[in-house]
Amino acid sequence: MTAKPKGDKREAACRELRERIGAEKVRDDEITLVTYGRIRQGFDTMWPFRKPSLVVFPEAREDVVETLKIANRYKFPVTSVGTAPIMLGTTEGGIILDQRRRNRIIEINTDSGYAVIEPGVSFDGLTSALRGTGFKCSVGTMPGPGTILGQALGRGSQSFTTRYLNVIVDLEVVLPDGTVYSTGSSHFKNVGSHLRYGPYPDLAGLYTCAYGAMGVITKAAIRIHPVNEASRIHFAGFDNYSDALDYVKDLIDNNIPEHTFIWNWHMYLTWPLAPSDLEAVMPQVLKSDIRKPPEGTPYNLVSSLLSGYKEQVEVYEKVCAKVAQKYHGRVFSDEEIEKRFPATMAGFRQQYGDYHYRESVHWSKGRFAGWYVFAEPKDMKEIEKFAVNEFVKFGKGINPVNYYSHPFDFGRSILLRISGFPDPTDIELRKKISKKFDEMYDVALKKYRAIPIRPIGSDRAGTYMDVLRRIKKALDPNNILNRDAGLFEEGEL
Amino acid sequence: MKLTTTLEDVQAAASRCLRDGRCTYGPWPENHPLCPIYWHDPSFTFSGGGYLFLILALLDNRINFDQSIANFAFSCASCIACDNNCSVIRCHEPYVDILDIIRLLRSEAVKRGFVPGGIAKKIYDEVKKTGGYGQASSLKLPDKIKNDKADTIFFAECSHTSAQKDISRAAVRLLEKIGSPVSQFSESGCCGSTLYDFGFWEQLEPLVKANWEKMKPLKDMKFVFINPHCQEFIHKRYPEILPNFSGIHHQHISQLLAGAFKDGRLKSIKAEKVKVSYHDPCYLGRGLNIYDAPRDVLASLSGVELVEMARNRENSFCCGARVAGNYVPNLSDDTARERIKEFEGTGTDLLITACAYCKDHFQKVMPAKDRGRVKDLAEFVDERT
Repeated sequence: MTAKPKGDKREAACRELRERIGAEKVRDDEITLVTYGRIRQGFDTMWPFRKPSLVVFPEAREDVVETLKIANRYKFPVTSVGTAPIMLGTTEGGIILDQRRRNRIIEINTDSGYAVIEPGVSFDGLTSALRGTGFKCSVGTMPGPGTILGQALGRGSQSFTTRYLNVIVDLEVVLPDGTVYSTGSSHFKNVGSHLRYGPYPDLAGLYTCAYGAMGVITKAAIRIHPVNEASRIHFAGFDNYSDALDYVKDLIDNNIPEHTFIWNWHMYLTWPLAPSDLEAVMPQVLKSDIRKPPEGTPYNLVSSLLSGYKEQVEVYEKVCAKVAQKYHGRVFSDEEIEKRFPATMAGFRQQYGDYHYRESVHWSKGRFAGWYVFAEPKDMKEIEKFAVNEFVKFGKGINPVNYYSHPFDFGRSILLRISGFPDPTDIELRKKISKKFDEMYDVALKKYRAIPIRPIGSDRAGTYMDVLRRIKKALDPNNILNRDAGLFEEGEL
Repeated sequence: MKLTTTLEDVQAAASRCLRDGRCTYGPWPENHPLCPIYWHDPSFTFSGGGYLFLILALLDNRINFDQSIANFAFSCASCIACDNNCSVIRCHEPYVDILDIIRLLRSEAVKRGFVPGGIAKKIYDEVKKTGGYGQASSLKLPDKIKNDKADTIFFAECSHTSAQKDISRAAVRLLEKIGSPVSQFSESGCCGSTLYDFGFWEQLEPLVKANWEKMKPLKDMKFVFINPHCQEFIHKRYPEILPNFSGIHHQHISQLLAGAFKDGRLKSIKAEKVKVSYHDPCYLGRGLNIYDAPRDVLASLSGVELVEMARNRENSFCCGARVAGNYVPNLSDDTARERIKEFEGTGTDLLITACAYCKDHFQKVMPAKDRGRVKDLAEFVDERT
């Protein structure tokens, strides 16, 4: 880790910043600094406390440009963050660039199907704005107040990722020297954000999963999708993951669902819980073995959003039923789901009916410990068994063990995201889990050809990381951007 | 929250905060900004979660307790919006709300001798000097309705605000018009809500105990409140503070008035047309879930048309009166001005509220010529019946 900037340098940078962008956008009071000192996954004592020197709240793109230029000149580390839990490490003595005040929805283009947003726009903000437009955006498993860009840049799991690898069409980026450019079609004067790349290489990809290390995003165009004449969620239950995955693949291969998710029973029962349901459902789940659902409770529930013209959806439903039978599954009617798993149904109704989040207390169980991998379908069947068995070894103290799994890019790659909820104050257990996860990533890569969703150390990525390092050095020669943030290991540049 | 709760007791619950800002705004799809300090100066620090993280930082010895922490702790408007929108914290031991945890921070500050200047210091000094709080209301019930054996007890014991006296008098006139016998709980004293809210907990317990001793023989009677802060505090907090508290029957004056209109004991006699907006006071609305009664009362008044502000009922925006710290300059008055701006946007003639703090504070930030446009519900009903 780079040494903390000295006091005189800090004061000079702070003074200059205040003059250039306005004092009200720059905070260095002790209370602000300590409350931003441990924002990784909440105030989590498992991670180092790194008090910034300044927290900057830009209100315009130019504020970001000025901040980066000054930071670059003083070689001040900058970490760009949004709202909601982050996976990023911040830098001791650095600047935190909190773009929450930049929350305008600049354009909703229903002709081409994209929305241009500032980095502070939340899922709640965009899903509200889209009501009545006949369009919807992809939603995922983050809380509604979470920023869209935060999740999109991390290639998070979202509804339309069944079809597309991510939701980004175009990004406006500021580099440490103050250069501003757009990665897609909007870089050309008077051209909208309809095309991700062309005639040049796809540079938006450079900022996806880069965790802010390559540039600061100040604007983004994301995909939005038409709300079709008819839509409904189809449910099918399966006794094992293998059958559920074959079912999902079959549907995707035949262009049936808009998107489709496989949920394990711990997750579909507890994810959408409101506080009022918590006591009724959670106690049974907490003492259960994830591998053995109660009689009549399917091990996996597959939700498939079917949409299109009314006639089309009716046919899709019949196809889903036929395919479910082919893979030993059982169709669950809305009435049955409503009766047996009311919280589940309420969650799906909100997410797929209103196209926004169920405000649940799922995450309040504690900080989750999550393990995420991508693999080809046949490998994922083995990985699911492996991961579930490893999670069972942690004991019931980490229940519920929630997982969901779904295709990306029409099923070329399958995601499995499995997590447990250890007591957040049990640091020893959480460290043990974290260590175990690293071992599991190794096994998953070597034995099952699975790629982790987050960086796992440059020693395992070889020349890929070499190239990234070269690009990083060219764009950010002073290494000021998100230097402890996850793409590169601390201090490795 | 029990007065013996410590910062360590809330550490695990506070650490569940997801840092997602859910505590700052209302439900989807309106997503109205509701937390005054966040609205004023959006940052994670200035949110319910920011207060929780500050406590965690204090417990982790990352910051020293000093006067600035007191100023910050008292800068929260105590409007309950955070607790209405975040259900995460209260799901964990000791099962308390974010605002309770902020009050706990205030009480820790006070214990260490850090009290912000202004109204908080004034109250603190009064409490230290007199051992209690609350000026005599000098309110006398008219002989026509005064009956010490009546089963309705009028709770208007203190008069902390200038508005309170006028509201009390209007309420008494209304009780007289209704004609049912009432008795008065006390002519002076305090329920303790301000001491609780401001973290003056050392002085709170004896006061609350003494009040309960007076109340106990009357617990089967119906207490009628004009100040929602008193009502909320006695109804919700006395049981947490006093192990032997057994609950009282309680009603806000708006509920009593709504009933009186309904059964014909009170009649609207002035029919002059007027458009009004109603400001839901935080403690009457989010605190006690009383939203319909004031609106029912307004609907019972001839010629009165209610035009709702965009932020209403559980998504009402605070008046800012209870901001007693100065960590964010002008927060208290700017909050009131923001609400007044929203009222002006409705194009109505009058802003009706049902809390003395709200009335006082709105009037404070309005030009002198407009102050008459803010009225308490009791005063407004009194004028038209």
